[in-house]
Formats: sequence, C-alpha cells, structure tokens
Amino acid sequence: MKKRFLAALVSVFLLASCLTGCGSSGEKAGSNGELNLFVWTEYLPDSVVEKFEKETGIKVNVSTYSSNEDMLAKVKSETAGAYDVLNPSDYMVAQLIAQGMLKELDFDKLPNFSHIGDSYKNPSYDPGNVYSVPYMGGAGAIAVNTAKVDMEITSYADLFDPALKGQLVVLDDFRAVIGITAKSMGYDMNETDPDKLAEISDRLMELKDNIVLYDSDSPKSALISGDCSVGMIWSAEVAMAMEEVSTIKVIYPEEGAYLFFDNWVITKESPNYENALKWINFIMDPENMALVLEEFPYLCANTDAIAKMGDEYSSNPAKNPPAADVAKGSYVENLDSDVLDIYSEMWTKLKK
Amino acid sequence: MSKISKHEFKSNTMPAIVTVGPVAVLLVFLVVVPLILVAVMSFCQTDEYYNVVHKFTAENYRKLVSADYLKIYGQSLLIAFFTTVLCVLIGYPFSYVIARTKSKKKKLLYMLVIIPFWTNSLIRIYGWRSFLGNTGWLNSILMSLHIIDEPISFLYKTGTTVLGMVYCFIPFMVLPLYTAIEKLDGSLLEASSDLGAKPIRTLFEVIIPLTASGIFSGCIMVFIPCLGYFFVSNILGGGNTDMIGNLIERQFKSANNWPLGAALSIILILVTLLLVKCYQKAGGDMDNLGV
Repeated sequence: MKKRFLAALVSVFLLASCLTGCGSSGEKAGSNGELNLFVWTEYLPDSVVEKFEKETGIKVNVSTYSSNEDMLAKVKSETAGAYDVLNPSDYMVAQLIAQGMLKELDFDKLPNFSHIGDSYKNPSYDPGNVYSVPYMGGAGAIAVNTAKVDMEITSYADLFDPALKGQLVVLDDFRAVIGITAKSMGYDMNETDPDKLAEISDRLMELKDNIVLYDSDSPKSALISGDCSVGMIWSAEVAMAMEEVSTIKVIYPEEGAYLFFDNWVITKESPNYENALKWINFIMDPENMALVLEEFPYLCANTDAIAKMGDEYSSNPAKNPPAADVAKGSYVENLDSDVLDIYSEMWTKLKK
Repeated sequence: MSKISKHEFKSNTMPAIVTVGPVAVLLVFLVVVPLILVAVMSFCQTDEYYNVVHKFTAENYRKLVSADYLKIYGQSLLIAFFTTVLCVLIGYPFSYVIARTKSKKKKLLYMLVIIPFWTNSLIRIYGWRSFLGNTGWLNSILMSLHIIDEPISFLYKTGTTVLGMVYCFIPFMVLPLYTAIEKLDGSLLEASSDLGAKPIRTLFEVIIPLTASGIFSGCIMVFIPCLGYFFVSNILGGGNTDMIGNLIERQFKSANNWPLGAALSIILILVTLLLVKCYQKAGGDMDNLGV
C-alpha cells in the first residue's frame, strides 16, 4: 500500500516537473548569440519573438512574471546577468535605477526611438530616458456590465456604493486598490501621511463587502462568465471582455484613472548588451509594434505604430484610452518601506 | 569490541554509507540547510528597498501577534478543521466500501481515488471554478431542470474554499483509512453480531475503535497541509478570506518582506510539529503518516 502511495507521489512530481520544465529548455545558441528576456505574462506575442530570431539569428529565451515585485525578487535571487532585458512598470524603473541595477542605453543603436510619441518621452521616473524606453501601458479602468447594473457609474467613488454588494472584481494589487480608494476621497494615490492613511484604511473596509474576487491574471474571465458585473481591471482586459460580452462598457473615472506604463530596460550585468539593444530597436519598429497591438491592445507609446492600426483600435476607448483621460490620470510612485509597511497592513486588514 | 575487523567494516559500515549516505546528504541540503536559512532570515531586518539585511531584530515576531494576523490564524484553523471533518465523513464510508468489498473491482475502485491525483491540483481547482460559475455546468443543469430560475453564486465564498480543500485532500484521508480498514479482521465483526450487537453498536464499539489509527493519521495528513495551502482560497475563495499560506505567499511576493514571511513560516512549522507531537503522544504511529 505504501509502495502504491509512493508511486502516486512520484507520478505527481513527474507531472509537476514536466509542467515547470517546459519554460527552461535550453537549445543550442543561435548563430549570433543569445538574449534573455524577462517580460510580463500576456504581453508579448511569440510570433514577434520568432520574427526577431529569424531576422537577427539571435536565440531568444523568454521568461515571464505577473508582478513587478515578483520580477524584482527573481532578478535579485538569480546570478548576475541571468536576464538581459526587463519590462518593468514606471515606479519599478525608478526603483531599479535607484538600486543601480540598470545599464544606460546607447541611443546611437536605437534609431527607432524616433517613433515614440513626444508625450511619452522624458518620463518623471527616468528623466531624459537614460535607462528606459516606453513600451505599452493602460489604466485601472472600470468595467460595467450594463445588462446587470442599473446604477450609473462614473467614478471610483461609485464602486463603494452598497448597491454593488458582492459584484466587484478588482486587481489583486495593493497599490492599485488602495490607490483608487485614496483617489475616491480626493487624496493622492501615493499618500504618505499616517492620519490620511488611517482614513483611507477605514474607507477601504467599506469596499470589502462589494469585492468578491481579487484577480490580476485574467480578471476579464469573471466578467465574461457573469460571476461579477463590475470590475476595476486593466483597460485592455476590459477591451477583451467587451469583445465577448457586448453589454460590457469601459469607464474612465472622474477622479482621474490609476495609470501604469511598462518599459524596456537592460540590466547592469547583461552579458548580451548589443543583442539587447537590437531587441529594443526591433520592438520600437512600428511594423513590429503593430503586430503586438493586434494581439494585446494596450495603450501604446509608439505613435507611428498606432497610425498603422485601423480605426477599430484607435477609436476603441478600452484599447486606446482617450488622451484627456490619460492626462488626468496618475501613476504609482515609490514609497519608503515604513510607509509601504502601512500599505501592507491595510491590505492584510482588507483580506483577512 | 575495540577492534573492528576489515571484513566487519566492509559488511556493516560500507553498505550503510552507500545506501543511507546520499539520502542523508540530500536531506541536509534540501531540508536542514533551508530550514536554518529560514530561521535565520526570520530574525533579519530589511533596508529601504526590502533587501534582507543581516542585523538582528525580533520585530518580525512581535508583528505576528497583531489582531489581524490572529484572525487569519483563527480562520485558517477553522477552515482546516472543517475540511478534516468533512474528509472523515466522506472518506470513511468510501474507504470502508473499497476495503471490505469482495468484488474484483477492488483494484479499480482504489485506482479511482488515485487517478485524479495524477493531474495537477491547480488545474483541477480551475476546473471547479468553471463548473461552479454563474454560467457553469452546475447552474446550467439546475436551470434547464427548472429547479432554479436565476443562477446561484456558488463561487468566491469560504464554503467554496472548504469544498476545494476537501476535494484536494480526500485521497490523503482515504489511503490511511483504507489500510486500517483492510487490516480489520472480519471474524471480529461476526463475533460482535453473534453476541447480539446491532450493526450500529458494532460500528461504534468495534469498527471505529479498531480503525482509530487510520482516522487519526488521515486527520493529521489532511489538517497540516491544509493550513499551508494558499491557491484554493485564492481561486475558489476569490481571495476574500486569507489563510496563513496566503499571508506567507504575499510576504515573499507582492509585499516583498521576506523576513516577515520567514517568521510566519517558522510559526507554521512550529504548529505542525506541535500537532505531530500530539499525534505521537496519543499513540499514533509515524509509519502511518508515510514518513
């Protein structure tokens, strides 16, 4: 009996190891060396990576992550130079710079930077684009299934309405959810004052009964299946939900939306610096960027790529958020660890 | 005794080193060293970027007694408790039928418990999510039979978490129960009924006392891992009801506070050791735990 039990256990381990082993199969290096990419899940189509491999003869290894913090933890725990190119969001770029983990970009090798829209250049988290070039972004938009919800929702504050009890899906991201709570009260997303944070914490608890699901991986699923009728989720996820269920609408809140923008950076110890530059230049080519947008319709920094996309992309507010809403929005910023500890405690209190 | 002949050394010590040696080395590197690292880390501080700094502090343990954390420990224990009780109630009759059946299907029935075990539990839990959803199979069937008019929200409740846990852990309950019940001597049951005991009395005074060791080890094997599970409450519970496992996972990922996560893990390990100790004290056999 024990043997059989052991056999069962061994089978489980074998299955688990072949599931996890898939991502790391090392093939022979391409004729022009290698490149190790570490990017967000559901953010970069395989076809685009294959195209790059064909054009340059560089072998690309792609690994993925689903939160900035996971990425940071992984990069720190791996040997130096395990990844060449990372795909961090705004505030994480600033943090990587502050910790001296990035290498300056050689813009002589990045002629395609000219395709990036002027409003996306010179961001506050990396003044002068010394270390990063922008890729895609979006907003923490509100999705409403109008067939199921009567009330009019125009702001993050409306999400706190008791009428929405048990109907909400939100991102499983403490900075996002605490940030929109602060915004709903007229405070800053990156509030640091302990008294205001205590107020925000109380307000946050009013949201608890409305939320049924915390999901950052695929929050659209709960909206499509009908388990939730309102969501505070990535704007492109709303776009994908709208394609499945026609009664779902996207709303950018009156207070100004929570925004994020992801970037390409090269690690300090990158052993393949030249290849990394080739990749970044390749992905800024409007033609290649348009291929990405076909599959993942996020807000795009590459204005020439948007010009290549049809009206269906540019006039869809969920795919291409209106400029006025983007201008009104605000980003998550780095906070000191003693303030972040308070944020963590507020989050634990909400989820307990 | 002082002199061991060469031959004796070869016949006794060498085989022991060859067979036990590699396992011992593996255990040291995969269990002992990591455990020491976790214990050390739980007393470390972090810098402003949450990098671990090797400076002593007991602050991580002091944080663990906050009211929020105590509530999470409490509900973890409750969820694990209900899961264990349900596993016994469902698992016992099931194991009894398999173990006592005379039919040739015994092997097949036994395999039916094991086979779902071969699929990744994460995938099976996602399966439950689509089965129980508003537009899932269960609601569709109930609605097409006109039992209900509106879909019922089964998902994202604490009860759903318990359901998922029971589903994940039932084999851990069935296997030790099966072993215990199979060992049960049938003539004792005949004796009991010959002496005039009704089936219900036989059950409570003969069958259950004689299979108590199986129930006991099953409970330990369900209850302990249950405390540390996090993905079931995330996927089926919607993340509304944290368990200790969720708390630990968050410290190592989004909150990025590894020393606090390490301290929480140490507490969980201590609770586990305490439970195993109780099990031993009460006369449980470590072999039945599969260790």
